[in-house]
Amino acid sequence: MAGEYDVVVQAVRVPGSGYVELVLESPELAQAVPGQFVHVLTPGTLRRPISFSRISAATATAAILFQVVGAGTAWLAGVAAGQTVNVLGPLGHGFPVPEPGRAWCVVGGGVGIPPLFAAVQRWGGQVAASAILGARTAAGLVMVEDFAERGTALTLTTDDGSRGEAGTVLGPFKRWLRAHPDGQVYACGPTPMLAGIAAATRGHRAFLALEQRMGCGIGACLACVVPVHGPSGPRYARVCSEGPVFAAERLAW
Amino acid sequence: MDMTVRLPRGLTLANPVMAASGTFGFGPEYGAYVDIGRLGGVSAKGVSPDPWPGNPPPRVWETPGGLLNSIGLQNPGIETFIAQDLPFLRESGTRVIVNVIGHTVEEYQRVAARLEREPGVDALEINISCPNIKAGGMSFGHDPDQAYAVTQAVRAVTDRPVMVKLSPNIESPARIAEAAVAAGADMISAINTLVGLAIDRHNRRPALGGVTGGLSGPAVKPVALRVVYEVAQAVAVPVIGMGGIAQVEDVLDFLMAGASAVMVGTITFQHPNRMLAIIDGLPAALAVHGFSSLPEIVGVALPTRRQESGR
Ligand SMILES: Cc1cc2nc3c(=O)[nH]c(=O)nc-3n(C[C@H](O)[C@H](O)[C@H](O)COP(=O)(O)OP(=O)(O)OC[C@H]3O[C@@H](n4cnc5c(N)ncnc54)[C@H](O)[C@@H]3O)c2cc1C
Ligand SMILES: Cc1cc2nc3c(=O)[nH]c(=O)nc-3n(C[C@H](O)[C@H](O)[C@H](O)COP(=O)(O)O)c2cc1C
Ligand code: FES
Repeated sequence: MAGEYDVVVQAVRVPGSGYVELVLESPELAQAVPGQFVHVLTPGTLRRPISFSRISAATATAAILFQVVGAGTAWLAGVAAGQTVNVLGPLGHGFPVPEPGRAWCVVGGGVGIPPLFAAVQRWGGQVAASAILGARTAAGLVMVEDFAERGTALTLTTDDGSRGEAGTVLGPFKRWLRAHPDGQVYACGPTPMLAGIAAATRGHRAFLALEQRMGCGIGACLACVVPVHGPSGPRYARVCSEGPVFAAERLAW
Repeated sequence: MDMTVRLPRGLTLANPVMAASGTFGFGPEYGAYVDIGRLGGVSAKGVSPDPWPGNPPPRVWETPGGLLNSIGLQNPGIETFIAQDLPFLRESGTRVIVNVIGHTVEEYQRVAARLEREPGVDALEINISCPNIKAGGMSFGHDPDQAYAVTQAVRAVTDRPVMVKLSPNIESPARIAEAAVAAGADMISAINTLVGLAIDRHNRRPALGGVTGGLSGPAVKPVALRVVYEVAQAVAVPVIGMGGIAQVEDVLDFLMAGASAVMVGTITFQHPNRMLAIIDGLPAALAVHGFSSLPEIVGVALPTRRQESGR
């Protein structure tokens, strides 16, 4: 159940320079749905939202993987195994269960990759997944080995061509979509990438995990909104509580 | 120690710590995190007659010791609030304060009149920081005459306790408070947020979708204390103080400056349960400073009280 928890950091991993993954001991967080997130207490005036990168009910752990981009993530990167962090979570609505019998593709850009691994970890056994993962440079392609270990069909892209295809994920994604007209898509990444996916997937089963600057993280302050289609025109929906996962066709971009 | 606060028109709080409007949602959101029944009260997010869409995102930006927000008073309108949120608040066991907003005097009055038919509303808080669209968009809170007009219009349609919430973005909040009290306000609450701006250096533009935003959090506490201190000397009605409260010592400061009760906002985003920790710690904190009752501390730092006590 969602709540405020002090959780022990069981292990700290460094998947690449500037990236850190914390494994958190928590039976409550281990009940999370892929796509949900925690709101982590840091020394700033606001908490920091970070998605689950792995969820394991069996070991009563859940992990978060983040890039160090500012003061909050820099502080979090300094937390050592055995120390405690305070989180609110699991928060928001995660991805739905993928429909069996339909090809499934996860498309991740940069730090949008971790929640998609959590989805493949949870459901990849029932529905075979293809993954198209992209980043600016090779260093940003996190969790590639984790996908590979699960036998996920992988396509990699980097903006600078340092690993995989040069360019963004949209090229290989559009090829995948043409080959799988009935396919379902889960995506997370920078807004231009998600907007491109939303435009390409009209009429498809497509779910996008969004980011927005947050205050409370639990639906109370109306900070974290995105425009969605409502019964009487566009309205602002809260990413933290109505998302972060939205059906692509609901978004009014 | 008895923590009860007795306010005008029979409004009685179990303790002096309430949730500030806009930081505690319309009620149910924090239910899973906070034992709401233990709060002195909850001021719900501002409600207008019809839904307001709010400002484009981003709507929050962290600043040193503070938070800049440009939510833009998004709300679903009074009918949805009454149908969806009020029942929860009514059952929660706390005192329910409805924060009232409008673009015209008539809009404020419509919300107040509509609530008069609803049980479970313990007080109204009139947020006069909204722009008056009939007066060129200047806020009602900037002009004593407009503050008077809004308060009087609300007073005319309600017997409930009415508090008027001051904007700090003016030269003399005390003049506005006097106008509101002259028009029938039972209490004054202060402060609302301070207008500010942040720059998004990466995108080379103002950081917030609404361009300017309201500053809150620990950074604004000295400004808030100054306003409470001035207003408490200018008017004879109780003052509800807020702005940057993060711990029990901050509450003592507001009470000494003349507040009869307080509201707590931004810190809740970090620590949903901080209000309860403050409530639990208040009797001991008062005792440490030599107070044997809550009313004893209210206003002790004001000039008149200092003269009486020779401090
Ligand atoms: C639902 C959700 C899930 C996320 N999952 C991940 C993840 O799995 N891995 C990861 O590396 N990052 C993730 N992010 C982005 C992450 O929240 C930011 O990188 C982080 O907050 C930056 O904090 P900072 O103090 O280091 O940076 P600063 O830039 O100093 O932060 C200043 C303020 O801006 C906010 N902020 C900055 N960037 C973002 C952003 N992209 N999104 C939202 N708020 C931001 C911060 O929270 C803080 O309030 C996620 C964001 C959201 C909304
Ligand atoms: C996100 C946010 C939304 C707010 N919305 C409202 C509102 O709807 N009505 C209102 O009167 N004040 C609103 N406020 C102001 C607070 O009630 C309070 O006056 C201010 O934040 C100072 O207190 P704090 O420093 O403890 O947060 C809002 C503040 C924040 C941070
Ligand atoms: S962050 Fe407060 S409503 Fe989403």
